[in-house]
Amino acid sequence: MECNRRAFIRRMGTAGLISTSGIAPAVWSRAAAAAGGSAADRILVLIQLAGGNDGLNTVVPFADDAYYRARPGIGIPETSVLKLNDTLGLHPQMAGFQELYDEGRLSVVQGVGYANPDRSHFRSMDIWQSARLTVDGSLDGWLGRALDRSIDRHVGTVPAMALGNERLPLSLVGHKVIVPTIRDLATYRLQLGPQPAVNGGLFRSTIGAYVEEQQSGERQLEFLRQATDAALTTADSIQQISQEYRETVPYPASDLADKLKLVAQLISGDLGTRIFFVSLGGFDTHAQQQQSHQALLGELSSAVRAFSQDLKGHGHSDRVVVATFSEFGRRVAENGSLGTDHGAASQLFVVTPGQQAGIHGRHPDLNQLLQGDLRHHTDFRSVYATLLERWLEIPSQPVLGQQFPLMDFI
Amino acid sequence: MTVADSRRVLKPYPRSGRWTEIEAGHLLRRAGWNSGPDEMRRAAAEGLEATLRRVLNTQAETTEFTQASDLLYRVARETGEIDNLKAWWLYRMVNSVNGLTEKMALFWHNRFATSYAKVRSVEHMADQHELIRRHALGSFGQLLRGMTQDVAMLIWLDGNANRKRHPNENFARELMELFSLDVGNYTERDIQEAARAFSGWHVRNDVFWFNRLQHDDGQKTVLGKTGAWGGRDVVELCLSHPACPRFLARRLYETFVSRTVPETALEVLAHRVEVHKYQLRPVLGELLGSELFFADEARHALIKSPLDLVVGSLRGLEVRPNLDNVVRVLRELGQDLFEPPTVKGWEGGRMWISSATVLQRANVAAELAFGEKLGQPAEPLQVLKRFEVEGDGEICGHYARMLLGRQPSEGLQRRLVDFYSEVQGDRSAKVRRLLHLIMTLPEFQLM
Repeated sequence: MECNRRAFIRRMGTAGLISTSGIAPAVWSRAAAAAGGSAADRILVLIQLAGGNDGLNTVVPFADDAYYRARPGIGIPETSVLKLNDTLGLHPQMAGFQELYDEGRLSVVQGVGYANPDRSHFRSMDIWQSARLTVDGSLDGWLGRALDRSIDRHVGTVPAMALGNERLPLSLVGHKVIVPTIRDLATYRLQLGPQPAVNGGLFRSTIGAYVEEQQSGERQLEFLRQATDAALTTADSIQQISQEYRETVPYPASDLADKLKLVAQLISGDLGTRIFFVSLGGFDTHAQQQQSHQALLGELSSAVRAFSQDLKGHGHSDRVVVATFSEFGRRVAENGSLGTDHGAASQLFVVTPGQQAGIHGRHPDLNQLLQGDLRHHTDFRSVYATLLERWLEIPSQPVLGQQFPLMDFI
Repeated sequence: MTVADSRRVLKPYPRSGRWTEIEAGHLLRRAGWNSGPDEMRRAAAEGLEATLRRVLNTQAETTEFTQASDLLYRVARETGEIDNLKAWWLYRMVNSVNGLTEKMALFWHNRFATSYAKVRSVEHMADQHELIRRHALGSFGQLLRGMTQDVAMLIWLDGNANRKRHPNENFARELMELFSLDVGNYTERDIQEAARAFSGWHVRNDVFWFNRLQHDDGQKTVLGKTGAWGGRDVVELCLSHPACPRFLARRLYETFVSRTVPETALEVLAHRVEVHKYQLRPVLGELLGSELFFADEARHALIKSPLDLVVGSLRGLEVRPNLDNVVRVLRELGQDLFEPPTVKGWEGGRMWISSATVLQRANVAAELAFGEKLGQPAEPLQVLKRFEVEGDGEICGHYARMLLGRQPSEGLQRRLVDFYSEVQGDRSAKVRRLLHLIMTLPEFQLM
């Protein structure tokens, strides 16, 4: 029903991030992984920009008059943009991303979308998350399917986590794997009961010793014993992480930064999780776009920058790729309320360890619009295929239903 | 009965077979949602036959229960809040004397997994639920027929599909793959032809509407049979396909006995499903009273679902639950009623278990033992008095048997006794600590 959806979007916009219950997952038995560079070590962090990010004001084609003609009110002046090259510049609030670009770690992937774009948030988000252009009843996500298919590789671990979401994002919904959601590390601990100082230790040591020692001939029981043993051990590790972790750079004070810091801690804790999903909401900027959009881009840029520096400080840079996505871009022409309406194609960012960064794909022609929207030239599933195959080493064709051409930002 | 037939019967559990609180507990946990100690005791005293009769036949509920249930249901429908519908169903699971009906309602909910997240109407979800309840222990055939015209199901399977792209092919596919035959027993062509038969099966103004103009009434060949099939005919073709009884038998076996399904057992059970013409009550009666149900391979073979765990514990510990918090906890553990993750329902089994959920389950145990957010358990000292349990060893043995459904091993018993004697606090507090420990054991996750 319409009113429910509007309320939902509003909630997502103002609250930004919805906290949830949940406990951090933990590793079961870590497969001995080759030191660095092995697919088993690689991590993908996805940042959903919920609401439909205005890509045109994020990476600005400042050399194109058509841009300023379409956006007399909200266009970003050439003097303000953070230039990436002769024709494109970042929104002025994205200094962090400019630094990443200068370091050769930021890829801007342009013209991303899909055929017959749907301008409904839910429908389009379902399309991006399920990687299916026709959403049928199966309602699973591309990462969920990828995890189901690679289940042998991560039996026992929790291969993916969503942070700060009420409901598990569709991307991560699979048929076999359960992906948990986390709010914070503090909740991931074994409850010891009232007055833990008095009896907590005895409880912990009793259960700990039992699951460690008491092997059983019963298959199901043995499975559960091992699961419990691993869970307890990892709860300890997580508590240790949360006490001992020292960020190597200060994180900005923002929800996204808090979440990415949590991700950094979990990566450091070596728990075997390979995919992290966080969400930043509020991008549905129909009116008075400038202020809210700049705040969001600032939050995105500074949080990701701090995150990447912190990872570097802990020696994890080489293992982590960060990618953003949004359900659609926004219309080229501004509307009457100094905002923009739902559009189609847009750009997305990928932060990679390697030096293949840069601008990928040409900017869609502002004079060749599709009903007022940018035309896509790159199917978003090519981006997914690249992330799956080149980074996570999971064959993409069975997950996406067909083979999409791989890109070279990785 | 022919000689062949006599081999295809589920051998009943012998009258002389062992029947103690352990066996009674096994039945009451599987056929319902576990029971409190009094009921276990009564079942042990009454014997298998009487207990089975009680389990299978609809018993009268108390006035209090009926009034509370009706009120909660009305609230749910009138407010249109799905959490209220969840609370209503949970109330029934925790308090109903007809646990098997609730268990089968969940079984069907999982089979015909439809989610409020997409349907977004409490009315439609409740209507579907009522359809399920009507046939929960009745005819699978009737249920399947009803489901194919159920509004929530039609909305769910159309989903956000573009109407120009064969919406009913999805419907036809799920009908065969998930609702009646299992993969491998039909071809893509069968689905396409069946989809033609379902053309015109629409929803208009929130009710099922057969749009005659959109219906393809030509000849179709489905599952080897040719005719001018309509949707109803396709359902009958599925029901009369030999894979269908096996499909149902397998699901029943996996739900009530074990996830390891031997071919011989499957064959016999499928035969019984056929003989009873898909009527659930007699089939379940035979299954739950059978030798293989009580065999060693079947004991402690199932991993408790979040509902088994939580509702079972609430009943076992005689807790007056805080329903809203229970709904929340179930969601965290991965089983949110009326919101299954996908059309395939909750996979269950080992998929319930991850490091995260193990910890969560342990923490639910803490909440239950120390009586915080989920509700207060019956005062342990009263329970012990009722059962005349005195010494440390007796107390540990009693609770281990009651909660784990088996005699604890020597090693476990020793650890429990050591723990119980060392732990600090008055007797009531010590027992709660013991409960917490027992419910954290891996054994407690099995039923």
